[in-house]
Amino acid sequence: MTDAIFPQVRIVSTRLLRPDTVENLLNRLVQVGGIRRMSLNGPGIPATVPYGPARGQPNPHPDRRAIRVGDQDVQLQVQVGTIILELEDESYIPAIEEAVDAVFAGKGFSCIVQQGRYMKTQPSISDYARYGPDADRDLLGLADPRRKDGLVIIQGTK
Amino acid sequence: MKVNKTMAYKPQYGPGTSKVAENRRKQMDPSQKLEKMRDVTDEDVVLILGHRAPGAAYPTAHPPLAEQQEPDCPIRKIVTPTEGAKAGDRVRYIQFTDSMFFAPCHPYQRTYTECYRFRGIDPGTLSGRQIVECRERDLEKYSKELITTELLDPARTGIRGATVHGHSLRLAENGMMFDMLQRSVLSEDGVVRYIKNQIGEPLDRAVAIGKPMDEKWLKDHTTIFHSLGGSAYRDDAEYIEYVQRIHTLRTKYGFLPKED
Repeated sequence: MTDAIFPQVRIVSTRLLRPDTVENLLNRLVQVGGIRRMSLNGPGIPATVPYGPARGQPNPHPDRRAIRVGDQDVQLQVQVGTIILELEDESYIPAIEEAVDAVFAGKGFSCIVQQGRYMKTQPSISDYARYGPDADRDLLGLADPRRKDGLVIIQGTK
Repeated sequence: MKVNKTMAYKPQYGPGTSKVAENRRKQMDPSQKLEKMRDVTDEDVVLILGHRAPGAAYPTAHPPLAEQQEPDCPIRKIVTPTEGAKAGDRVRYIQFTDSMFFAPCHPYQRTYTECYRFRGIDPGTLSGRQIVECRERDLEKYSKELITTELLDPARTGIRGATVHGHSLRLAENGMMFDMLQRSVLSEDGVVRYIKNQIGEPLDRAVAIGKPMDEKWLKDHTTIFHSLGGSAYRDDAEYIEYVQRIHTLRTKYGFLPKED
């Protein structure tokens, strides 16, 4: 769960992004710093065909791959369309906007940075029913806390 | 099928004064020829459909009609069977997903168009996909028409038998509609190629279905109203009037509706 004192921003592009664009953007964001938590959202790319006559067969997809962000490999499982950030304070927002503009200049489509509240601040009844009382509160509202692969921690410069 | 020429009623196909309405009427009207946009071979169609191996015989669901006793039925005397029905083919399908970003066709439109243009079909219309079922050899003939004409854009239309998700999502950076199974890819030469069949099984060879159409062509040929960047539904007063009339009449239905 997030603490309501931390500002949040959402980066939304008008197109779904390729992994190399995401890699470029995230590395610039990591250099800006001040990011407490980050979530990559978008339509999922399954490892196997989920339904139909070919169900269970492997689903080779070039966009489902690992990207290098900071000093960590991040395995993409979605085609990224939205990036949600929780920041330490609002002073980082102009630098984030600059980084986004630099990445999307000349791409032929736009990308906006919005400020608002995009992460849950307390668990819902459905979260309790689904994940129980001991669910990892760092993940609730961002991803499924039962997933085994967990978080990727990218070390900052602090 | 013969149409009674003495019929006083002339089909209008749909209301509306906008370009979108005009495109819809053009697609539905069987007397208008659909523009041919690309070439695909019969073998290409068979590969994309994935129902049988190219060159294989058509499996049958029943013996050919000529070899079996038909019951004495007046309807069977009126209706000529299609080639597939005559041969006793299995019933198979093709399913399309059309992006909301100015795809040339969309599920309801596909169903109307197919019902006016093709025989012996069973279309199924859903919000994000449209499936049409018919006898296998008829299906291949109809599919070829659906793929080669202006009803399909290689980037904004997907031939997807399963896992159709993508019609209402943002497009990918290269302009392709999202497909979690990535059945079709935009190659570096600008041509879209199917590398998997419609249910997501890899193909032995890629099937090229041509280059994506440009934004101007799509906006000129789309049958989808879109208030952002296209023609807005509310701007077509005739369409609104017609839909409101139908809505009013069907709401009042059962209470002896009478028009004022």
